[in-house]
Amino acid sequence: MVKFLSEEWIEIGKNYMLEQLDPVKDLRSISTSLLGVVEHIPPDGATMNFYLELEEGKLKDFIVNTGSTFEEKEAAYEIRGNYGTYKSVLQGEMSLGIAVLKNRLKVKGSKMAALKLIKPLDGVIVSLQEITDEFEE
Amino acid sequence: MSSDNVIVKQKVDLKDAVAIAEKGTHCGMCRFDFLGSGVCPAGRKHGFLAYWPQGRMEIVQQLDSGRVKPTEKLKDIVDSCNLCGICDKQCNFTTQLRPEKVAKALKEYVDSLDPSEFQSVPEDNILQGLREIVGEEWATNDPVISSSYTMTILPPNSELNYYVVMPENTEQVSKIIKFANKNNVPYLPRSGGTAFSAAAPTVLAKGLSLEQGIVIDLYRLRNLEIHPESYTATVGAGITMFELQKEALSHKLRALAAEAGAHVCSNIITTGIISTWGNKYGAFADNFIDLTTVDDEGNIKKHSDWERNNPYATEPGFTNLNLTPPGIVTEAVVKLHPVFDDEEAVLVPFDNIRDAYRLLIKLGKRDVGLSLAVLSRKYLAEFLSPTLQISKDFDYVCKNYLKLNYVVAVICNKDDKKIVEGMADYTIDQSLMKSLILGAPRFSSLRDSEFMKILSEEEDPLKAIFAGPMRSHLEKALDPSPEQVSKVFDEDLQDFFKKVYSKPEMTDIVWLHAFRILPTRMMRQQMFMGPGASMWTGDEDHYLNWIQMFDDTGEKYNLEHSLGFISPLDHGKFAYMEYDYYYNHNDPDECDRISKSLIESMKKTLVMGKGLTILNYLYKGIYRKEHVLYPIPEAISEEEQELFDELIDTVLGD
Repeated sequence: MVKFLSEEWIEIGKNYMLEQLDPVKDLRSISTSLLGVVEHIPPDGATMNFYLELEEGKLKDFIVNTGSTFEEKEAAYEIRGNYGTYKSVLQGEMSLGIAVLKNRLKVKGSKMAALKLIKPLDGVIVSLQEITDEFEE
Repeated sequence: MSSDNVIVKQKVDLKDAVAIAEKGTHCGMCRFDFLGSGVCPAGRKHGFLAYWPQGRMEIVQQLDSGRVKPTEKLKDIVDSCNLCGICDKQCNFTTQLRPEKVAKALKEYVDSLDPSEFQSVPEDNILQGLREIVGEEWATNDPVISSSYTMTILPPNSELNYYVVMPENTEQVSKIIKFANKNNVPYLPRSGGTAFSAAAPTVLAKGLSLEQGIVIDLYRLRNLEIHPESYTATVGAGITMFELQKEALSHKLRALAAEAGAHVCSNIITTGIISTWGNKYGAFADNFIDLTTVDDEGNIKKHSDWERNNPYATEPGFTNLNLTPPGIVTEAVVKLHPVFDDEEAVLVPFDNIRDAYRLLIKLGKRDVGLSLAVLSRKYLAEFLSPTLQISKDFDYVCKNYLKLNYVVAVICNKDDKKIVEGMADYTIDQSLMKSLILGAPRFSSLRDSEFMKILSEEEDPLKAIFAGPMRSHLEKALDPSPEQVSKVFDEDLQDFFKKVYSKPEMTDIVWLHAFRILPTRMMRQQMFMGPGASMWTGDEDHYLNWIQMFDDTGEKYNLEHSLGFISPLDHGKFAYMEYDYYYNHNDPDECDRISKSLIESMKKTLVMGKGLTILNYLYKGIYRKEHVLYPIPEAISEEEQELFDELIDTVLGD
């Protein structure tokens, strides 16, 4: 169990998803990439992001960066929200879908296309919920 | 062993007060002066919902359930009420409830508590920050105050982990949002709260409510200015439709009318103002000149800012659902319209929906009339009847004897009246409507009468009663008068209601259409959910099939149900339809059936196509109708149905 957005979080998250998720059953063989931008991180209000890429249901990349952009790769979707919202999602208090529908997480691009992704991403979210237990206060 | 100087206080039982309070449906009619009786002085002074009759009714339930414990603030809340009785007059008119009894019981309960039982609630950093923005008086984390917002923005069973803040201007709203974001605290604006109150007992509660965080109560944004020269009004977010309409009428102008208690700004952003006047006055963004909004970053914007991206457009398609508003409208500059000296009401009665619909759309396409609607028998009965029982009997008489199932209600000038009369075999005029209002108790008592039995044997009972010799007999039998109608109210309120019903506006169908104080009677001691739609009128059978689908769904789930109204818009090309399911909000089984009927009807509407349900235009009222209604939605595919099912699971299954 590790702290959200830490290096350890990335490493353990990668391993967890590779070991525990079935690319076909759990991730519906999707190929996509997503940039999660996390704003207002305590204590100083910093912004960080994580880039996650799946290819035919297999995790290809999972990277954490500082700032609101990831220059190396262009993600198909960007989901932006504050730290508290990500925390609620990772603590299982709010689903990713409802966070999007409540506008707590803002999707760049077509909402229809993004919502199509929500079900396949369930497995990723559950994995991250399993490994994340520490947050900034 | 007891001591003489130790007084053991007996806690007052709140049971009787709870029995009254739980019948309340949070209509909010106690928050503005719609009867000329004044308005709750404590609520007006302190603002927070807890100080209004509506809030006290909720607090009593929350204390009784143990969800909230007494706090020091509770003493202030009960002390602020001087039992003036204004709330009884207002609430009794719409719901026949007596909120003053609840307020009195709450006072007695608080008096019976030992001082040690009142908790003090410490200020934390978030509260301190909010108070720095709005002043100490206007922000609180008191759980008793928070609990009063249950069912109108807070879900029934959340932990009372909330702040309530009452900004007085747009700049303060902006600062609150920036502060909330910085501190990772969720927030949601609240105006009248009535839209959520209908959803709160259903599966929609979780998706539409605030689970924790800051309630931004917009009541204090009370700017209201009429600009007669430009036919506009500047309206703050705390202003109700009744208040705007009253001020506009003093300048011989009229606003597009939503329900009396609807707050103008929130109504605009929620669904747009859905009204029977929409065909003439417009829909969605037609109704305003400008909006001042605060977005979710706290940025203040105006629709008229020429540099900004197009604020009038939104993504089309059935997945474009929003469970929160795209921003907070703090002020709107709305359009007003002239009131003509020769305005009249004319109603055309029908026994079947097809003929009523056909006339309505014909009038809509020809732009006849100012307000145009098919109203169901149920609506007529609910609106005109002073009590629930009278409305049931009124409905029975209309259905079983008169075969009066629908009316096309038209508010128009005298030229248009001639057109309507030329298109109908017979009509109900203003004079007869006045008799039905003042004679509603007598009318409902005619069930099982010989008069009605004879009438029902006529070939066309509607013609016999509205255009034949029976009319004078009916008017005589009704014996319409303010004295007569006031007798159905509690004895101590009869003099007051006699005066109320003596006012010309109370029997003026034009005024009643514009000020819409009667629709709240649909919420008297029971709740309703109106899953309506805005539908293309090009295919009459298709339109009527939608109504039949809602009817079938109501039957399937054994709910009291009825068409509410149909009203054209955009020159008759579309028409709103509201179909209502009535339910006891205190009965978990009925709430469950309401939830199932909502989901099922929602899914069916997408498969049927050519219409948008309320969920599809929820929080899209600030956009142009051309972007919301077009392209006319086609029936969705099987693959899209699967996606919609997943979406619904997302909304409901969190």
